[in-house]
Amino acid sequence: MTDRIKEQLSAFLDGELPDPESALLLKRLERDDELRGALSRYSLIGAVLRSDGDVPAARQVAARVSAAIAREPARGTRFVRLPGYGAFLRAAAGAAVAAGVALGAVLLVQQIESQDAAAPDAVMAQADLPPVQPVTDDLDPLDGTADIYVTPPAPDAPAGIPPAELANYLVAHYGYASPLARRSVGAGLISDDDPAFVEQLPPAETTDP
Amino acid sequence: MTPRPAIALALGLAATPAFAESGQEWLARMGAALSNASYLGEFVSESAGRTERFAITHRVRDGVVSERLVSLSGHGRELVRENDEVVVYLPDQKLAIIERRSGRSDLLGALPQFEGRMAAWYKVDWVGRETLDDFGPTAVVAVRPLDSFRFGYRLWIDVDSHMPVRSDLSDGSGRVIERLRFTRLKFDNAIPDSAFEPALDRRKLRWVRQSPQSDDEAPAWRAAQVPPGFRLSASGVQALAGPNAPVGHLVYSDGLATVSVFIRVPRPGQVPAAGTSRSGVASAYTTVVDGHQVTAVGEVPTRTLKAIATSLRPAAATPDEARAAANRRN
Repeated sequence: MTDRIKEQLSAFLDGELPDPESALLLKRLERDDELRGALSRYSLIGAVLRSDGDVPAARQVAARVSAAIAREPARGTRFVRLPGYGAFLRAAAGAAVAAGVALGAVLLVQQIESQDAAAPDAVMAQADLPPVQPVTDDLDPLDGTADIYVTPPAPDAPAGIPPAELANYLVAHYGYASPLARRSVGAGLISDDDPAFVEQLPPAETTDP
Repeated sequence: MTPRPAIALALGLAATPAFAESGQEWLARMGAALSNASYLGEFVSESAGRTERFAITHRVRDGVVSERLVSLSGHGRELVRENDEVVVYLPDQKLAIIERRSGRSDLLGALPQFEGRMAAWYKVDWVGRETLDDFGPTAVVAVRPLDSFRFGYRLWIDVDSHMPVRSDLSDGSGRVIERLRFTRLKFDNAIPDSAFEPALDRRKLRWVRQSPQSDDEAPAWRAAQVPPGFRLSASGVQALAGPNAPVGHLVYSDGLATVSVFIRVPRPGQVPAAGTSRSGVASAYTTVVDGHQVTAVGEVPTRTLKAIATSLRPAAATPDEARAAANRRN
């Protein structure tokens, strides 16, 4: 690992790395075990130095990672998985920090291609995820079994509109589709595999035919 | 199939013995058949690794188009339209959605001419003749997009009826996204009204009506930038199922592909949605612009939806206001 990367890591943890470089660094973190290990060590040291062994600073780092991921353009929903606080404390006591439990380990849960979602399987993927838990202050820092998931800010989460809302829009759009595409749009509307009608929103107007 | 000479006569098609093998010519013949033919048939839709069968009944009588589309798999969902009214029946949801627009006849819209302005965005190629098992000889024509903002088509046109009996929708790289293939097609100029009655008990359904609020009312929003070739072709405000407030609806088209943009105010306390969704060949891209939820929907690549949705601005905004809004977003 070069000094330049180390400097970037340090700046990232201090919140001083520009967004574009943060984005590149996060991509590299996804595929570089050594880098994740280094991030873990640096962040642990920084957290301990800044907080006298308490964990809020570590949470700030986690939040920074989360926020940086959320700011990444055209990326899918990501969740930052943090180890339990007990793991941090054990590591602070001198245990070697395994790359697999690194603070910055990014668990990519769902990603939607942005350049070309034409591929039928490229979008509308609803990952079967464990429950998302907010970071709260009342967790037992010694409870090493508690996994914490931090979601990006909701407005940036590419969850898409609810299926029922999409269906309503498609019904309105159907009449404007070209003669070549209209049949496809209609077939999609009544397709049994289509999840669009699984959920129903309250109707704006309910009436007899 | 019905004997081919009878089909041509029934459709009022000119019996021209020697066609020029031109893609444009075949598209024109296909467009005429689509506008005039009455038929019953079944087709298969293959997309995203799934295959689904549909039955279709289509009638053109005195300028009125009636069509009934029935899913032959599972719950028997149906779509029935008569001119400007479309009803989607969802028996499994005990729901029917009516979409009615007045004063417009988009549903009667003919196939565009791929000349002039259209030639800048699509290229029509004559591919050749191909014999299909179910239909015999067909003329194969490709409508290729000239950039990645739109999809392309490859059409297998029955040489006698001029109907497209198979169509492949493909992206800019030629990858097929969806294939529609007729397995049965029968022409009939005397399809009765009863053929367009849904095969379900309508009294047990909850009816939801989607309609325009006013022909003169238009949303005060416009896309500041659109992909090459796209123009605003319609705008209005309408009530949709779900939102309590009226929804702005803009339609952008390049002559073949269309994108609908819906603008609505989020419900109080509701975080606006954002991201990409999909239904069949149609995709949707949702973002937030100045506190409004903006959703672009269409049978186009997601980048086209995103380009239009993210460039939406209040129409009355001055340049300074637009800059201020952009700064707020950034």
